[in-house]
Amino acid sequence: MKLQRFFQLGLLLAVSSLFAAEPDPHAAHQHHQMEVDNVGVVMNENRDRLPRDCTSVSRDYDFTIHAGREYAADEPGMIFGLSQHEVRVQPCSRLTVRFINDDAVRHQWMVHGLPKYLYPAGMFHIEVAGGYEKTGTFIVPGEDRTYLLHCDLAQHMEKGMRGQLVVGTGSGDLWGVREISDGFFRSSYLPGQMYAWLALALASGVFLVTIALWESKKQ
Amino acid sequence: MKIKVLWALALCLVLVGFPTHWYPQAVRVQLTSWFGAADYRPLPMSMDPPSEPPEIFCPPDPEGWRDAQVIEGVDIEASAPCVADNPWAVAAFVRGTNNVTADTLMRSGLTTDAVEKGRDLDGDGDPDEIHIRLEVAELNGGSAIVQAPVTRYEIAPGIRPGLWVFTPKFVGMAVENFESQQARPDLRLPSPAIRVEQGDRVRITLENSHYMPHTLHLHGADHPFVDVTGEGNDGVPTTSEMPVMPGMARTYELEPRQDGTMYYHCHVQPHVHVMMGLQGLFVIEENRPDNWLQTMNIGSGQVRARSQASRQQYDREYDLHYADLDQQLSERIQQDNDPRLIARSMHREYDITDATQDYFTLNGKSFPYTFRESLVVGRDNERFKLRVVNGGAKGIALHTHGHKFTITHRDGMAVPEAARSMQDVAWLATAQRLDLELLLQNDGVHAYGPGIWPFHDHQNQGVTNDGIGPGGNISAIVYAEYMDTAGWPRTQGVSWDNYFTAAYYRKEVPVWRSYAPGLFDDAGVDWLLLVRLLMLALGAGMILALTWRGLRRHRGRP
Repeated sequence: MKLQRFFQLGLLLAVSSLFAAEPDPHAAHQHHQMEVDNVGVVMNENRDRLPRDCTSVSRDYDFTIHAGREYAADEPGMIFGLSQHEVRVQPCSRLTVRFINDDAVRHQWMVHGLPKYLYPAGMFHIEVAGGYEKTGTFIVPGEDRTYLLHCDLAQHMEKGMRGQLVVGTGSGDLWGVREISDGFFRSSYLPGQMYAWLALALASGVFLVTIALWESKKQ
Repeated sequence: MKIKVLWALALCLVLVGFPTHWYPQAVRVQLTSWFGAADYRPLPMSMDPPSEPPEIFCPPDPEGWRDAQVIEGVDIEASAPCVADNPWAVAAFVRGTNNVTADTLMRSGLTTDAVEKGRDLDGDGDPDEIHIRLEVAELNGGSAIVQAPVTRYEIAPGIRPGLWVFTPKFVGMAVENFESQQARPDLRLPSPAIRVEQGDRVRITLENSHYMPHTLHLHGADHPFVDVTGEGNDGVPTTSEMPVMPGMARTYELEPRQDGTMYYHCHVQPHVHVMMGLQGLFVIEENRPDNWLQTMNIGSGQVRARSQASRQQYDREYDLHYADLDQQLSERIQQDNDPRLIARSMHREYDITDATQDYFTLNGKSFPYTFRESLVVGRDNERFKLRVVNGGAKGIALHTHGHKFTITHRDGMAVPEAARSMQDVAWLATAQRLDLELLLQNDGVHAYGPGIWPFHDHQNQGVTNDGIGPGGNISAIVYAEYMDTAGWPRTQGVSWDNYFTAAYYRKEVPVWRSYAPGLFDDAGVDWLLLVRLLMLALGAGMILALTWRGLRRHRGRP
């Protein structure tokens, strides 16, 4: 499992670096199916078009997912959170997500990696202004796979709003999903006097060996 | 016997390895008199610097954003440099994001409530109820998943300091697309210039989408200390109100009686938060009839939909936001992902009294990127208004080549006509604003004629990127006949290929490499001298060991 995560990360880094060479000032313009109103956006909603590897909708799910600071309140070092960071569904199932924003700022529930012939840019996306809610529906493919879901406001994913959508048995946990997997990088939480402790331990080791040798020589 | 051999070997190594040019001068002279001068030995060859292809100087404009156009009935002026603001966003800022068509709103990238415009209270043909919403975004921040900065934004080739900015409210992702970590083009430094009209009933809601507390302080703009409910309205946590915590929002209110070029910034730990980029121009325009204003100017620079007063007096108007950055501060958000560690590092371990600035920006970019978007482009006899703010920690000495300008306003207040003079260097203290009038009249005083005339901070660290020049806040006044059709100035002189590589600003490329290859390149290594020094070190080490052994034996130890 760990090895699989490593390769997934490697792929992500490789793809990121491929696209990071030359910024195109107009690259943000892509054509999505968007429903926009004063409250927010549902992008690429799909109630009835089946993925190519599905013959019918296998099951309907209804999820109510909250977003906001209170869902990170019990997690040290996190600022934002979701009421549910992992969503597990059957292949070819239809998900209706009621996304409720309990904060006063925008939040998003965004899934990546879906087939691009059904979902432009491979995304399904609900975005809601602070204090509002929106509901959207989409159908997942038949393949067992794990998809990234997150809020893409700057630093919201990094500070807690990162989850995974597991279809079927999935394809291995993603890194950095709260209560499921660790971050790939971890800050140092060692005490500030670490070097003093290490030096003391080192000196103790030298002292103990010296004493031991001294005693054995006397004998 | 064995020891004697080792002693002999060590002394030989030291004698042979000791460089002759380290001998005392008198010894060298004596040796020269005995043996003559040393044989000629060529100096090391020059080394080739790393080869890195330059970036495209002038990105293309496939959607015609640079052109003059009319959108939603808004006249949007042409923008001469390569990279122009999104004209759909300009139109939405003028009409109000609540008043434009769904198509314009989608092309603008803004939310419906980003800038709401309401009633015309004084009946003069323009809206006077303005509700602006600002979010807070982090650029080039840290992550627990990838090591490189996320939501990337380059101020110059390869330079990505960590930044915080106020931003308009956009729809969708913070990055260009899922495969990229590059920030969307309109999510950038500096925080947008904001424009309202004198007497407007203005509400600004700060939606704190960032992970640290922030506020909004309207520096120099007429605003009450408390709002009608008694809530603090000055943005200063120490004296007026609690900060806006992450995920929370607060609305600030003002009805400014005085027009002028003002400033806004976060006032939470301002020695850190302002320096991270939470600051922008705040312009209060004179009240005029039918005065539809471009409420936000993303990235500052040219104002493409101007006020009535500006149209009457000037041919163009530019917002020029100068700032500086300390790498030792900005890198701290990239070193950890835990907000507790970041807060400690930035607010307790960082000491601004020991700070030195490393990067110097004009409208959020440093040279050479300044030439993509912050050129002042004109023709003979055109008259421009430049609204300048210095948001940096140090003062700037703004100098224009080939032109003398007049300071018409200082900190938003008009300078009396009798006190005005023409200058080619203006000093701006931290947070100071100057309105400059620039007349392209070729009379030997106002201007010296057509050309490409740089303007920049004349304190010399300001024209570098972390000490490498040219860099910093250099831009130029360019006459139209010196611009090509793509929006790039037809410069004379050296090739700019090196300036558009990250290697140049990593200090890996000799500064004159492009036009004097080899002449001033890095010198190669003197391998012969290195071998001799290694022999010297080896011999010295042997002598130390042998001496140590001799001392021990002298004391009767084995």
